[in-house]
Amino acid sequence: MSNRAALPSSFRDPSGFLFAEDGSLYRQVNQAYRESYDHLTGSGLYDALTDSGSLIRHEEVALELARTDEAYRVLKPEVVPFVSYPYEWCFSQLQDAALLTLEVQKKALDFGMTLKDASAYNVQFVWGKPVLIDTLSFDRYHEGQPWAAYRQFCQHFLAPLALMSYTDVRLGQLLRIHIDGVPLDLASSLLPHRTRLSFALLSHIHLHARSQKHFAERTVDVKSRKMNRLSLLGLLDNLESAVKKLKWQPKGTLWSDYEEEDSYSADALDQKRQLVADLLDQVQPRVVWDLGANVGLFSRLASNRGIPTISFDADPGCVERNYLESRRKSETNILPLLIDLTNPSPAIGWQHEERMSLMERGPADLVLCLALIHHLAISNNLPLSMVADLLAIICSSLILEFVPKTDHRVQRLLSTREDIFTDYTQEAFERTFSQRFEIQASVQLEGSERVLYLMTRRRT
Amino acid sequence: MRHSKCLADSLVFVSLLLFASTQVAHAYVDPGTGSYVIQLIIAAIAGLAFAVRIYWGRIKGFFSRSPSAEQSTSADEQ
Repeated sequence: MSNRAALPSSFRDPSGFLFAEDGSLYRQVNQAYRESYDHLTGSGLYDALTDSGSLIRHEEVALELARTDEAYRVLKPEVVPFVSYPYEWCFSQLQDAALLTLEVQKKALDFGMTLKDASAYNVQFVWGKPVLIDTLSFDRYHEGQPWAAYRQFCQHFLAPLALMSYTDVRLGQLLRIHIDGVPLDLASSLLPHRTRLSFALLSHIHLHARSQKHFAERTVDVKSRKMNRLSLLGLLDNLESAVKKLKWQPKGTLWSDYEEEDSYSADALDQKRQLVADLLDQVQPRVVWDLGANVGLFSRLASNRGIPTISFDADPGCVERNYLESRRKSETNILPLLIDLTNPSPAIGWQHEERMSLMERGPADLVLCLALIHHLAISNNLPLSMVADLLAIICSSLILEFVPKTDHRVQRLLSTREDIFTDYTQEAFERTFSQRFEIQASVQLEGSERVLYLMTRRRT
Repeated sequence: MRHSKCLADSLVFVSLLLFASTQVAHAYVDPGTGSYVIQLIIAAIAGLAFAVRIYWGRIKGFFSRSPSAEQSTSADEQ
């Protein structure tokens, strides 16, 4: 089979693949998947899942668009506004994606189908909610067969969630190294002993890892062993309650208790909000990225205006609080994500092409960079010219708050390090950024020496 | 009956696993078999618990319903 036309994220599946043409995304369904696809649409499962918002909608388009002659159907799925990956999600986002996967599997069984994959990459956050985006993940269910995606579910969801909950929330980043989920022997060795007292974690992680090792070189006739439907439902029910029981409270991370208000008086904060809101109305961007968004106070100025907004922060506690608020308020335009701008998500997987880098997913129309520049320039020793270079790649308009060296926050940063930052002045900042951007407006914030800028990227 | 046999088998297997000696990992190892086997065992136990929960609910429902049912029967008889 030649699937050179396939997008690199979908080359593993013989059932079909994604391809792009004229800026639109299509999914070819191969003849090999014909029976399953017909059952998905004919049984009512597709309607049930799309009506509940659990599965991405698609329309069937002309077969002439097919890229290879083994095509059975060509689909045009609903567009995912921003693709994000499990290592960019906070605890509750990964937990919600896990629960969605189980819910879809249970619904599929009602219609005589089963999920053959339980990859966290098959879930995307679309308009605030997790949605399964792989229409080709369903196979016919035959009585007696176990869940083919069980191991993948444990590796992609249960193990990282347990590690984040019991060991350290930062272990969610293991998903960035292990593209097919956290190896269970690794999870087992990192989890505290008390997790062996939980039946679910003892069995799905510790004994599961032990069993993998035990049977690694043994030949067992597994095909003759059957699993009845009640057992399968029991397994899914057990996984669901295990996932729901896992908790993580965002306390004690560096920024999660930080209040924006600390740096401003109430009037100054109101002024800053009003200024940012006015600038957003002036630029009217279609997509906003808020870098160093904390819990998303300023992101919401954009998202509440109906602008799809990605709200990045490097602190898991902030992203968690941001996501919980968006979930509580059923917000559709904000997507909180865990991104460290000094080490953003790289392109990973086969030939660096399976998962996109952050830069490949840009640019945004407008970037909010509020009270962040001093962290980049002083905490991270980044020359201002390099900060300007990066921002010029990822946006065409920029709202940036410059925090001068005299500011008490900067003074605090400098209290434990030698001041080698002689170029960190407002004048040098304006001169450096003017090489990449045109300064459209600048306003000093009341009661502080901070200055808010609106800039537009220079055409090169 | 079938479930209790499954459970007994499972417990034996689980004990075996717990005390099994660790082996050296090789490049050709297949984690699929171990996942398959453990899934059958966990599902047998979880399925049993699931069934007990469902049937326990029904049994409780049956007994909590029965006094009123008897009452209405005796009322009919009168």
